[in-house]
Amino acid sequence: MKKKELRKADFITSVLLLLFSAWIIIETLKMPMKDTFGGVQNVWYVSPALFPLIISIFIMILGVVLLIHSIKTGGAKYFLDNFSIRYRDISEKNIRFISILLALLSFVYLNIPRIDFFISIILFLTFFISVFYFDDKDLLKKLTLFYFTGSIIFIILFAFGISKVLNSYYKYSTDILSLFFYISYIIYNWIKVKNNYIYKKRLIVSLITALIVPLILCPTFRYFLLVPLPKEGLIIQMMHNIYYFLK
Amino acid sequence: MFIFEQLFVFFQQIFYLIANPINVFILFGAVLLGIIFGAMPGLTATLGVALLATLTYGMDTSTSLVALLSIYVGAIYGGSYASILINIPGTAAAAATALDGYPLACQGKAGKALGLTTTASAIGTLIGMLFVITMAPLISAFALNFTSFEFFLLAFFGIIISGTLTSHDLAYKGWIAGFLGLFMACVGRDQLQFYPRFTFGLNELDGGLEVVPVLIGAFGIPQIIQVLKDKVAGGEAKRFQRILPEFTEIFHHFPDIIRSSLIGVGIGAIPGIGEDIAGWVSYGAAKNSSKHPERFGKGEISAVISAETANNSCIGGAMIPLLSLGVPGSPPAAMLLGALMLHGIQPGPMLTFDHPLFIFQVAAILLLASFAMWITGMLLAKQVIKVLRIPPPVFMPIIAVLCIIGSYSLGLRIFNLYLMVPVGILAYFLTEMEYPIAPLVIGVILGPMADANLRRALMVSKGSFLPMFTRPVSLILILVILLMVVSQISWFKIFTKRISNKMFSRKVNKNIS
Repeated sequence: MKKKELRKADFITSVLLLLFSAWIIIETLKMPMKDTFGGVQNVWYVSPALFPLIISIFIMILGVVLLIHSIKTGGAKYFLDNFSIRYRDISEKNIRFISILLALLSFVYLNIPRIDFFISIILFLTFFISVFYFDDKDLLKKLTLFYFTGSIIFIILFAFGISKVLNSYYKYSTDILSLFFYISYIIYNWIKVKNNYIYKKRLIVSLITALIVPLILCPTFRYFLLVPLPKEGLIIQMMHNIYYFLK
Repeated sequence: MFIFEQLFVFFQQIFYLIANPINVFILFGAVLLGIIFGAMPGLTATLGVALLATLTYGMDTSTSLVALLSIYVGAIYGGSYASILINIPGTAAAAATALDGYPLACQGKAGKALGLTTTASAIGTLIGMLFVITMAPLISAFALNFTSFEFFLLAFFGIIISGTLTSHDLAYKGWIAGFLGLFMACVGRDQLQFYPRFTFGLNELDGGLEVVPVLIGAFGIPQIIQVLKDKVAGGEAKRFQRILPEFTEIFHHFPDIIRSSLIGVGIGAIPGIGEDIAGWVSYGAAKNSSKHPERFGKGEISAVISAETANNSCIGGAMIPLLSLGVPGSPPAAMLLGALMLHGIQPGPMLTFDHPLFIFQVAAILLLASFAMWITGMLLAKQVIKVLRIPPPVFMPIIAVLCIIGSYSLGLRIFNLYLMVPVGILAYFLTEMEYPIAPLVIGVILGPMADANLRRALMVSKGSFLPMFTRPVSLILILVILLMVVSQISWFKIFTKRISNKMFSRKVNKNIS
């Protein structure tokens, strides 16, 4: 980060730190200081509020020091001069950042608790590897948008209880839908890169890697480390059947 | 007689460890894995220890310790591969190695450079181990006199010193990170009265934030984001025929090795200061003491030896405060502390009573790991460097999956993941704004100790802070903390500069007269 940008960030952070420390103080003042809790008469120095209170005071002091420094070095002025809410062309770095967040957040908060773990990993890795391995800004935008749209559809499915209705007909319905999404992502990818030999090769590498990793990880964690996987759906059930059949 | 007894116990530990073939297999496997982790730009020793901590959770303590220490040693050494062969430091610890390692590789001496770094790293680890076995019990014995006030101040001292020394921008950014870590440690029910603090009514937060997922998030996710966002690229590795263990050259540079080892151990022993700083300080010291400082940066052997010896001896140094005081000396040591706590081992002054053989065990593993590292380095270097061809966009997502499944498998809680991701994103933004992460992590780890000990101390003193100033150790800690804080104020800096200028001018005047 450039010095000017850094000082601007310091200004914003210092304000956030002051607000945060004020919130800690408000919360700690709600804790028992001298009154009884659980039948125990409190004294201030044994109170659960003491330590967070000390920390919040230090954070506040340091926040003020950072604020003064950012004002002295022009961070506040730079922030105010450049403060505007208007559309700017998003840089490639920022699109990359958005793609990383999309991959991580959809994997952890959306897929892992609701979709078969094997499929979740495949989906995550196929998107995460391909989107960066192509190293093409245009493809990065398009693939991120495609994956984002798919994730929104899944959010609607889960948020409005549609997935529950579907699962009541066939218990692996959401897993099958996510497999459809996976296949459609591959097809979309293929259409976009079919005329470029290097990209086609990279797509194949992405697909193979995305398949090999869960093929190794899922049985290792499930059968060797005896870790029940977060969501055991269509594929993990098939894996169980094969494992116990062979055993 | 006492020394012989101690030596006997030490060798007994070595024998016990190598008598179990599984331990030997894990020793070599973890060292190799560590070298691969260290060699790949973007992966760090801390991340390696973090991921292995989750996999070794089900193993017995000594086996998991073999795995964790071996990957730590291997990863610190492995960083030199990428530094020498592609001029990109595999880990921050090997950044100083690249300055002279790569010019050596360009001169067709890559094999020689790798041979020297392998041997220097092994010697550095051994010297660090010697300090662990001699210093840790002494400091433990001394720390037995500590009361609750000292333990409270020790936590503060840890975050202030690591904040001051690891911050690249303003020192108080390190302190802010440390206090944020201490706040994170407050989440959950407090230890003395079981009162829920900052839990937002969530039962999952009652037990507090799980240390290992928080650490994986804090170290792993920023690394993944940075590598993919900034397009950290691999490179074409320089070719080499075979690694040459140049013992005569090593013998010739023995003073460099000793100096660098001492620097490494010293820096490692300071809470939160990692192997990267040890490497740079040692490089600087080697340049200052060299008869030919102009050769530095152009392929100087002593530079490579100094940096590599220091970063590996730093491992032993980082173990000293970890084992004797429960304060991690470096970020990978912080991760190791988290892993030890998972196994029910609480490092600190009581360690020598609760687990009398533990320090010997750690020393024995460091010795074995240094041998395993040397053998693996000599035999498998050519194979290991093939991993440098794997592009970061392919391996980083796999690391993300490993971070996630690793965090989940500790306690089988999806909530750990819900926690890990925001902590990781927060750590990423902090890193971008040049806040160091080591003090934050130290804060998370030492927070419960500081909280409980402060209140216990005040209970004993009936709310009086006076004993803090009457007890010698706590007074020293207060003075050191104050000195570090005051040293960041501009008028103090001007004042010390004036004094040093006056003293210097007096000396010059004396010399002239």
